[in-house]
Amino acid sequence: MKRRDFVTKTSATVFGASLPLSGIRAQNRYSRYAGQTVTFSVPAHPHYDAMMKILPDFTRETGIKVETDRLAMGRMKEKQLLEMAKPQGDYDLGCYVVMWKGEYVAKNLIRPLDPFLQNPALADPAYDIKDIIPVYLENLGLVGGPKGYLAGPGARLYGLPYGAETSVLAYRKDIFARHGLKVPENYAEFAQLLRVIKDKEGIGALASRGQAGHQAVHAWLLHLNPLGGSVFDDEWRVRFNDKAGVQALKFLQEVVATGPAGIAGYGQGESNTAFLQGQAAMYLDSTSLAGLVNDPAKSRIVGKVSWALHPMGTRRASQSGGLGLAIARNAKNADAGFLLMQWLTSKAQDKAVTRAGGAPTRNSTLADTDLVRQYPEFITFKEALKYSNPDWRPIIAVWDKINVQALGVGISEALTGKKTAEAALNDLVAPVTQIMREAGYKV
Amino acid sequence: MKRSPLLAAAHYAMLVGLAVLCIAPIAVIFATSLRQQVDIFAEPLNFIFTPTLENYRAVLQEDKFDRYLYNSLFVGLISTAATLVLGCMAAYGLARFRFPGRRTLAYTTLLLRTVPLAVMAIPVFLIWNEWHLVNSLWGLILLYVAVNLPFTIWLLYGFVLQVPVELEEAAAIDGCGPLRVFTKVLLPLMAPGLAAASIFTFRIAWNEFILALVLTDRHSRTLPVAASLFVTDMGVDWGRVMAMGSLIAIPPLIFTFVAARQIITGLTAGAVKG
Amino acid sequence: MRTPSWVPILYVGPAAAIMAAACLYPVISALQLGLYDWSMGTPWSAARWVGLDAFAAAFSNPRVWSSLWTTLLFAGVCVTAEMLLGIALALALERPVRGTAVFRTLFILPMMIAPIAVGLAWRYMFDAQFGLINAVLGLLRIAPMTWLADPTLAFAAIVIADVWQWTPFVFIMMVAALANVDSAVIEASRIDGANWWQMTTLVKLPMIAHVIAITLMMRLVDAFRVLEVIYVLTFGGPGDSTEILALHIYKTAFVGQQLGVAAAISVLLLVVVAALSWIALRISNPLDNEK
Repeated sequence: MKRRDFVTKTSATVFGASLPLSGIRAQNRYSRYAGQTVTFSVPAHPHYDAMMKILPDFTRETGIKVETDRLAMGRMKEKQLLEMAKPQGDYDLGCYVVMWKGEYVAKNLIRPLDPFLQNPALADPAYDIKDIIPVYLENLGLVGGPKGYLAGPGARLYGLPYGAETSVLAYRKDIFARHGLKVPENYAEFAQLLRVIKDKEGIGALASRGQAGHQAVHAWLLHLNPLGGSVFDDEWRVRFNDKAGVQALKFLQEVVATGPAGIAGYGQGESNTAFLQGQAAMYLDSTSLAGLVNDPAKSRIVGKVSWALHPMGTRRASQSGGLGLAIARNAKNADAGFLLMQWLTSKAQDKAVTRAGGAPTRNSTLADTDLVRQYPEFITFKEALKYSNPDWRPIIAVWDKINVQALGVGISEALTGKKTAEAALNDLVAPVTQIMREAGYKV
Repeated sequence: MKRSPLLAAAHYAMLVGLAVLCIAPIAVIFATSLRQQVDIFAEPLNFIFTPTLENYRAVLQEDKFDRYLYNSLFVGLISTAATLVLGCMAAYGLARFRFPGRRTLAYTTLLLRTVPLAVMAIPVFLIWNEWHLVNSLWGLILLYVAVNLPFTIWLLYGFVLQVPVELEEAAAIDGCGPLRVFTKVLLPLMAPGLAAASIFTFRIAWNEFILALVLTDRHSRTLPVAASLFVTDMGVDWGRVMAMGSLIAIPPLIFTFVAARQIITGLTAGAVKG
Repeated sequence: MRTPSWVPILYVGPAAAIMAAACLYPVISALQLGLYDWSMGTPWSAARWVGLDAFAAAFSNPRVWSSLWTTLLFAGVCVTAEMLLGIALALALERPVRGTAVFRTLFILPMMIAPIAVGLAWRYMFDAQFGLINAVLGLLRIAPMTWLADPTLAFAAIVIADVWQWTPFVFIMMVAALANVDSAVIEASRIDGANWWQMTTLVKLPMIAHVIAITLMMRLVDAFRVLEVIYVLTFGGPGDSTEILALHIYKTAFVGQQLGVAAAISVLLLVVVAALSWIALRISNPLDNEK
């Protein structure tokens, strides 16, 4: 820590001294592109809503205009696929969900970033890519390595994380104090606590997603990972109906049984709302909630929330995922798009977007004293990132299809009581295997 | 036979009750659009709340509402005009003339009216891409005209039949060419039908969502698609979406209040008379 | 009068051409599309010919059949409810009162509002936490129901939304039909001593049977075209309990990105709808009025 401090302070001085020089270099970097317009595909997501507040600064600093196309996440993918498949498309820069990275690279829709990062005319020497939280960079950006999505030999960088997240436990400290409850450290305590809160406080215990499709699978994966399970084994055969899988699904069923009304149909938005409106005492999901908790327009629990690590099962394994930025292969203004991407993920702008309610992408942002004062939960987040599991879900090209057509339906059936946990998971083995076979896996 | 006042009162009460049921969801749209974010998640039966125009301000100023409005108006008005002109001519042709292929055309038109738009969405997506019509307003107009013609033709067909041929023949004898016969004799007598047809066609073009969703990008987006953007994975922005919904509902509401009689005539013509 | 044979073409031609190009051609293309494997994000030229594989896969997919069943059930329940309610209300309220025009105007409103707005309004009202419906139920001391998260209740929700939107239409048709009934016949039956029930079932209803049949067929065919309201209200969920065929097609195409398979399923929907329309044509053929 000390040495890094020293290095940081020294480089700051050096850079500060050469600021006029780097300023000129910065001008040169952008000047060729001043007047161009970058078309940017963004989702309706709190992090990107925060980004919209700082975006005008980019145009002010560089003269490059930005036009955003804000769509719901599902619609965004469809539009991106459409645009990026044309000979020349509308989008230069696009936001993507981590799950799509394999598919986008397989269909040759996005550009690798190394040529840009190594281009002295474009690359920012002060960028410091190592400062970007490593597990985010790996999870969001690397394609082609082991299993297709992990770091290692063969992996190339195709995107930068922006709006990435891990999972963390948020809870109502006032409710816990009132009943003398202990923050759960492991899943055994967690399971017990659900009933206790529901009985004693009368509101939902844990806000959770539950809606059929991606949402239900995400909620189940949150518990599957710490309990030691996974969707596939190393040979891509399904193993989600083993003991860990069933235990995770049973836990989720209990969450639904002790949750706020309507939880079985919750998407991420409804789950957020339930917690922010005081309908549930705990929240186990994305760190992006931090930006919403203290917003009085959205939250009724300002100042009543404390944060803790994702409870432990047989191991600690919190979620890894979120959103990233990539450059379309058929972009008209690819260079300008890269400049925007670089600017957004730079140290100064990462701090700015976090101040505005977005999610931090860099270690330096998480360590910044002012921001830690504004978001004391960053200390917990930093700890949580240590346990973030890059293999949290199989980011293969057919994962979307498996979610929507098989897992998402089956898990939802277990949550609405139509099937038992064992039956639901066992019934899913055949359809998921079928999809894998059709995609070319030898299972 | 006089009716007991009790029965009359019950009759009236039922009518009022039904009217309330009809209006309730629409009232919800307008009321919610005036609520502040904080109130939207509060007690739903709390009819007393501080109204705010914030949602309307956000909808009108942020994003490109004027562009969407322009697109919707452009598509709505032009497709309505085109559908009316072509539909009227075709209805007249079908009603007054006998020509080979007439039966085939008639039955095909009838069947086309029943095609679910979801069936058309995928082939249209492909074909419009090939013809480079995707993301253009004219592409959308072409589609709406094609999809609305079957219904319009059959609606106007009934009205053409109600105009006695003798009137046209008389006008022809008077020296009117076919065009003048059309404009001087037929159109005035078909006015209610034309009014009904134009309202229905505009309503469909204005309200339509699925095909517009598939075929438009951010330049050619129409209002209903823009409204759907407020429904996201992170939850629904109720205030904004209801404000947008209210704005979208205004033209049909105006039509309804102004031309209710014509609408009903249009609906019931043909079915009831025939 | 003898008109030259090109005159009808002039009148009918433009409309026929547009319908053929932009309506008929896409419908027929759906058949062709079903023979290829085409996924989104790849150019059409890369689509693979798979022959009848997509059709076979679609027809052997239990989800397609369950979706078809859901659609039939939805259409059946909605149309039955709308017809019964519409006829009953028309019989009860056919007598004109003061302000009939106002009531009529209000009754058309549901079907004029954009379906997407309707869907959003109902979604808000059915919300388990903040919805009006549960609030009203709360007044009646009934526990809040998780409308959109329970398969059966969600189905009920989409039925309620559709009944709300289209019962007024049936009502208006029935009122117009009843107004056209020859009052002399009614008087005659009253003189003959028929009570209200007999008069209704044995005289009035048979006299408007034709309109009832037409309205029934119109509603039935239109019930298969419903998509936007359900798209917004439940998007097929929870599970696939409200996934009508049109929505299943949309999801397969634009969410699952399997355009060839979706086209194959849409052929199935087309066949069902065409069969219904053929029946409708047999009942009431507009061209029969001539000779």
